[in-house]
Amino acid sequence: MLRRIKGEALTGWLFVIPYLAYTIVFFVLPFVWGLLLIFSEWNLISPVREFVGLGNLIEALQSRRVHAAAVTPFKIMAIFLPAVLIMSLGIAVLINSFKKRQGLLAVAFFLPYLASGVSMSLVVKGVVSYTSPVNKVISNIIGYVPDWLGTPSLAILVIALMIAWRFSGYYALIFLSGLQSIPSELYEAAQIDGAGRIKSFFKITLPQLYPALYSVMILAVGLMFGVFTEPYMLTGGGPNLATHTWYLEIYYQAFSTLRAGYASSIALYNAVAVFIVVGIVRRIMQAWGRAHGWED
Amino acid sequence: MLAKKWSLTLTLVCVLVLAVSVAAGAKSAIFWTAPNPSQEVFWHEMAERFMEENPEYQIQVLPMAEAPSSEATILTAIAGGTAPAASENIFIGFGAELWESDALVPLDTLPGWDELIAARNMEEAIKSWAFPDGHYYILPIYSNPILYGWRIDILEELGVDSIPETYEEIMEVAKLAQEEDLFLMVRPALVKPNWWERWFDFFTLYYAISGDVPFITGNEITADEEAVLEVFQFYYDLAKEKYILTQEIPDAFPTGMAIWSELGPWVFPGWQEQYPEMVHGETFKLTMPPIPENRKGEATGNTFADAKGLVLYAQASKEAQEAVWEFIRWVFSKPEHDLLWMETTSLPPVRDDLAENPVFADYLAQAPALVPYAESLASAVPPFTHSQFADIQTALGEEGLIPVVRLQKTPEQAWEDAKAAINQILNR
Repeated sequence: MLRRIKGEALTGWLFVIPYLAYTIVFFVLPFVWGLLLIFSEWNLISPVREFVGLGNLIEALQSRRVHAAAVTPFKIMAIFLPAVLIMSLGIAVLINSFKKRQGLLAVAFFLPYLASGVSMSLVVKGVVSYTSPVNKVISNIIGYVPDWLGTPSLAILVIALMIAWRFSGYYALIFLSGLQSIPSELYEAAQIDGAGRIKSFFKITLPQLYPALYSVMILAVGLMFGVFTEPYMLTGGGPNLATHTWYLEIYYQAFSTLRAGYASSIALYNAVAVFIVVGIVRRIMQAWGRAHGWED
Repeated sequence: MLAKKWSLTLTLVCVLVLAVSVAAGAKSAIFWTAPNPSQEVFWHEMAERFMEENPEYQIQVLPMAEAPSSEATILTAIAGGTAPAASENIFIGFGAELWESDALVPLDTLPGWDELIAARNMEEAIKSWAFPDGHYYILPIYSNPILYGWRIDILEELGVDSIPETYEEIMEVAKLAQEEDLFLMVRPALVKPNWWERWFDFFTLYYAISGDVPFITGNEITADEEAVLEVFQFYYDLAKEKYILTQEIPDAFPTGMAIWSELGPWVFPGWQEQYPEMVHGETFKLTMPPIPENRKGEATGNTFADAKGLVLYAQASKEAQEAVWEFIRWVFSKPEHDLLWMETTSLPPVRDDLAENPVFADYLAQAPALVPYAESLASAVPPFTHSQFADIQTALGEEGLIPVVRLQKTPEQAWEDAKAAINQILNR
C-alpha cells in the first residue's frame, strides 16, 4: 500500500516538475531578482552597484511621471469598460442569435485580438490623421479637424476605443459560452409571465452571465494596468503625460534611462496597484453575484 | 562493412569538429550588426571577403535582436556574459553609458589606430567622438547630417525665388503657404516626449547657431542659452501663427502638404519607389538648418548628425578582440569598402573626403540628393556625450520644447523649467 502511494506520489511529482521548474525559472527567480534590484542603482552591467535602500521607492512615489502612469489606467478604464462590455455583449448576443455558422462569426470578431498591436496602431493612426476621410466629414460638420492624439481627453478616448475594439471579440467568446449555458426554460417562463426582451435581458441574461461577467471584468481591469503598445505607437505617452501608462514608464526607465533598480520599484508599485484594484473589483462583482443568487 | 563505414564517418565528423574548434579557438570572433537587413548584407559580404583573404580568421556576423531595443539587447548580453567581440549601431550617448560601466575597449590603444584613421581619411571627423577621458571608444561608421528640404516647385508657385535661410524669411514664406492652405511643416513628433525626437527638431537648429558648444559638459549645463531661447522663440512664433501642424499627415512633404521638412538620407530609397517625381534640384532642394537674421555671419552653420559607430567589448577574450580588430582594420582600410557600404545602405560613411574622393564620385553623381549630405559631414555634430542622455532629452522636450509648441509656456519660462529639470537629473 505504502509503495503504491509512493509510486503515485512520484508520478504526481513527475507531472508537476515541468510546471514547477518553469515557474521557478521564469517567475520566482526573476521576481526575487527584481525585488533585490529595487534597493540598488544599477544599469545591469556596471561594476559599481550602489545600494540606495528605499531611495528608488521614494523617488518613484514623488515622480510626476509615475503619478501620471498611476492615473491613466483609470482614465482609460472609464471609457474602455463600458465600451468593451457593450461591444462584447452585443457581439455575443448577435452570434448567439444565429442558428448556423456561429463559429465562423465568432472567428471573424476574434480576429482583431490576433492582430498585432503595432499594425492596429498604424491603422488607427491613418484613421485619425489630419487628412483622413473621417476627419474630412467631421471638419465639414464642426468646422475644424480635432487633434485626436494631441488633446488629452481625445487621446484617451482613441486609445480606450482601440483596446475595446481589439478585445471585444475575445470577451464575446466568454459571453457566448455563458449565453449558451442559460436554460431556455427561463426565457419561456418569463415570456409566459409577460416579460419583454429588455426585461428578460436585465432580469435573466445578465444575472445568469455572472460567471462570464466576473471573468471579463477581472481580465479587463487587469489589462488596464498593462497597456503599452497603443500609447507607445500613437502618443508616446503624451500629450502632457495624459496617456502615460505603467508599462511605458517601466520600459522607459529600464531600456532608455537604463535604471534597472528604479524600473523594478515602479514595477512593484504596478503590481500592488493591480492587486488592490482587482481585489476591489472582485469584491464588487461578488456582492453583485450574491444579490442575484450566486454563491461565492 | 556497414560498421566500418559508420566508424569512418564518425572519425571524419570528429576531425571536422576538431578542425573547426581549433580554428575557432585560434582567431575567431563574433560581430553583431544592426538589426537592419542592408547593414547585415554589407557585414556578411565583408566577413566573407576578409576570411577569403585571411583564412586563419573566423568572423561570425550576426544581427543583434531588435526587441525590446538594440541597447537593451547589448546590455543584457553583457550582463549575461554573452557579449560579442564587437558590434555596430552604437551612438555616442549609449556609448557613454557603456564607457561609464567599463564595458568598452579604448580603440586608440589598439595597434594600428592612427593608421586606420589616416587610411579612412577621418582625422577631422573623429575629433568630436573623443570621450571625456581623451580616449576613443567608438569608431564612427556612418553619419547622417540632418538637412532641411524645401519644396522648390511649390515655392516657385508661391512666387518665392530664393530659398529662405533665416527665421524671418521662413516666417514670410510660411504666411504665403498658409494662404494657399498649406503648412510650412507637418511634424507630429514635435509634441511627442520621445527623447530621440529632440535630435531632429531641437538640436539641428541649436547647432546651427551655437556650433559645437556642448549642451552638457560633465554634470553641468553648458549650452549656449541664447541659442536655446532663439530656437524656442522660433517654434513659439511658428506655432502661434499656426504655420506648423502637429497632427499626422502621411508623407506630408512629398505629397506637398508641407513645404519644409527636416530630412535624413534614409528617406530617398523609399521616395524612389513611391514618389519618383521627388527629384533633388527639380521638386525639392536640401539646405543647412536656418538661423535668425541677427546671427547671419556669426553663426557656425552646423547641424546635428545622427551618427553611429562600432565598439569592442571589454568582456570578450583578448584573442577575439584581436581577431575582430584585424577584421575592422581591414574593412576600413579601403575606400572601396565605404563605397560598398553606401551603395548597400544609402548611409554616408564618416570620411572627411567623401565629397571629393573620386572613388565615390560615380555613385554620388547617380544619387545627387546625397551630395549635400556628403558635403556637410564636416559640419555635422554628433549627440552630446552623457550617460543620462535619454532623461535629459526627455526633460528638454517635456518641460521645454513641447510646452513652447503648445503655447503653454513662454520660451524663457520653458527654458528655465527645462534647465531645472535637467539639473535635477544631473545632480541625481
